[in-house]
Amino acid sequence: MAWRNIWRNKTRSIVIMLSIALGLFSGIAILSLYQGMMDSRVRTVIDAEVGHLQMHHPEFKNDYEPELTIKNGQQVLKSLISITGIKLAVPRSISTGMLSSASGSAGVQINGVIPVQEYLVSQLRKKIIDGKVFDQEKKNQIIIGKKLADKLKLKIGSRLVLTFTDSSREIVSGAFRVCAIYRSDNSPLDERNVYVTMKALNSMLNIGQSFHEIVLILVQDGNLDAFKEQLSRQFPDLKIETWQEVSPETNLLVKTTNQYSYIIMIIIMLALAFGIVNTMLMAILERTKEIGMMLALGTNRIKIFFLVLLETFILTFAGTPIGIFSAWGIISYFQKKGLDLSGMGNEMMNSFGFGSIIFPEFPADKILDVFLIVFLTALLSCLFPALKALRLQPVEALRR
Amino acid sequence: MDTVIDAHNISKVYNKDTIPVYAVNNVHLHLKRGEFTALVGPSGSGKTTLLNMIGGLDKPDEGSIYINGQDITKLSANKLIDFRLRNIGFVFQSFNLIPVLTAKENVEFIMQLQKIKKEDREARVKQLFLQIEMMEKLNERPSKLSGGQQQRVAVARALASKPQFILADEPTANLDTKSASNLLDIMARLNQDENITFLFSTHDQRVIDRARRVITLVDGRIVKDTAEVSTSHKDDYKSEN
Repeated sequence: MAWRNIWRNKTRSIVIMLSIALGLFSGIAILSLYQGMMDSRVRTVIDAEVGHLQMHHPEFKNDYEPELTIKNGQQVLKSLISITGIKLAVPRSISTGMLSSASGSAGVQINGVIPVQEYLVSQLRKKIIDGKVFDQEKKNQIIIGKKLADKLKLKIGSRLVLTFTDSSREIVSGAFRVCAIYRSDNSPLDERNVYVTMKALNSMLNIGQSFHEIVLILVQDGNLDAFKEQLSRQFPDLKIETWQEVSPETNLLVKTTNQYSYIIMIIIMLALAFGIVNTMLMAILERTKEIGMMLALGTNRIKIFFLVLLETFILTFAGTPIGIFSAWGIISYFQKKGLDLSGMGNEMMNSFGFGSIIFPEFPADKILDVFLIVFLTALLSCLFPALKALRLQPVEALRR
Repeated sequence: MDTVIDAHNISKVYNKDTIPVYAVNNVHLHLKRGEFTALVGPSGSGKTTLLNMIGGLDKPDEGSIYINGQDITKLSANKLIDFRLRNIGFVFQSFNLIPVLTAKENVEFIMQLQKIKKEDREARVKQLFLQIEMMEKLNERPSKLSGGQQQRVAVARALASKPQFILADEPTANLDTKSASNLLDIMARLNQDENITFLFSTHDQRVIDRARRVITLVDGRIVKDTAEVSTSHKDDYKSEN
């Protein structure tokens, strides 16, 4: 009877079913988009910024003191490469200092890298938009970010001076020439990070073959904490951090975005709930006399309540597969092709650390949660109309 | 004949706190099994209110109503629903069939509430539709039936639960002469053949003519009550209206 009651007013029922489908589609699309953005952000953090894990002298990151290098770094590197599960172990020398040019100056983090290895660990070569990678024949070359280049009006071939303290706490300066300009999906990082060869930086820092950081890329993403545990046991003198610890803002973003997307989904469904309540109230109002008759004939109130409940659930869940399957179809398409959000502004997306092309991912693992939200929406929506039906007195209802 | 309905001193008052209006005023009513009774009176005389109280749809402010020895005024709302289901059949003026169910399903509906087995339901439906002469309309929705046919289905629905008696509120009010006559024939036959008790509230002279007992209600009080209605008595009511 509930099913047939739904179709008494076909147009009204179809409109509400389509609203639910559209609401679900929007909710799932938002979940997918956020999921895609977060996956892309995490991928960028791991593949192009910090790697899966990083190793430092335990006190190095407190003040970035140049003398706090990794003890026996070369041996540590050799040991790491022999560990199953580690794909890459790449060293970096790091210093913080001042970059000065004719048009201004800026505080920067100077990364001394082994070019061939760095190209693998941070995709530096792929990020270059102007100029050429380090030339082994030339000394004191520097790669800077596009944002910094714009800020200081630097071009390929521009000369600049890096000033920082060496391992003896003496201030040292060196002139460098811009060989390339890069741009990543994270413009704040582009403004802060510059790259020179490890050889050039180490000689100015006076730290020989030592270095401050080892970036680890693992064969697989999962089980980072277990890996960290294992490495901590093997290298007790070093501080080992996962990408979540190195980039806590990304970790927080992933967690909160998940919550935000659920909140948006709930808001959408809540708005739809008012539509469902309205539809069901209309249905009850139109059938007041009929419900009164049913009560008069001996239908108990629980049965009336469940009839309204069932009608609401049918109405709500009928739109659910339409919403889910249409979302799945459209998201699958954009998952392959990518969704270009550059219209919203590359700069804006990059300033939050996101690429402008997002590959949304259908949130299959969250579909159960979506069903739960739909279920709760239906339950919430039916309560008021069902209680209204329950309160009907047969005599009064039959009079209408 | 045993007593089916026994109402003692029942009253129903509206506007108790301001100017009390007695819809039913100190009414005594006894109906024995197999009676075919018409409750007549002008509009606002309290016919429907009395019928509703006897049917357990409304509670009297005073007095008690015994149906088969059970005081229904003492029953809780839930028990009253169950009592109605098992003891009372209703026929309403505007048929009140469930439009999304077929004629057969409308009749079966009551038996489903009574949790009667499918085979028994099927047999009872067949028997009832034979009695109301509508076997060919079993699977039609109410919207495809005429007013008279819908009211016959309503009678079958009222009988489906094998009630103690049937209350019919103006059952012929919305029917043309032929349909009303057909319906009355069916109800009279059921009364005579199966000893089913009927209590009608009506204005319709056709019903009054067929009733074996007429109770006249004016301003909530019974002013006339006769077990064997004489032609002159029926004419009395006709002339009053």
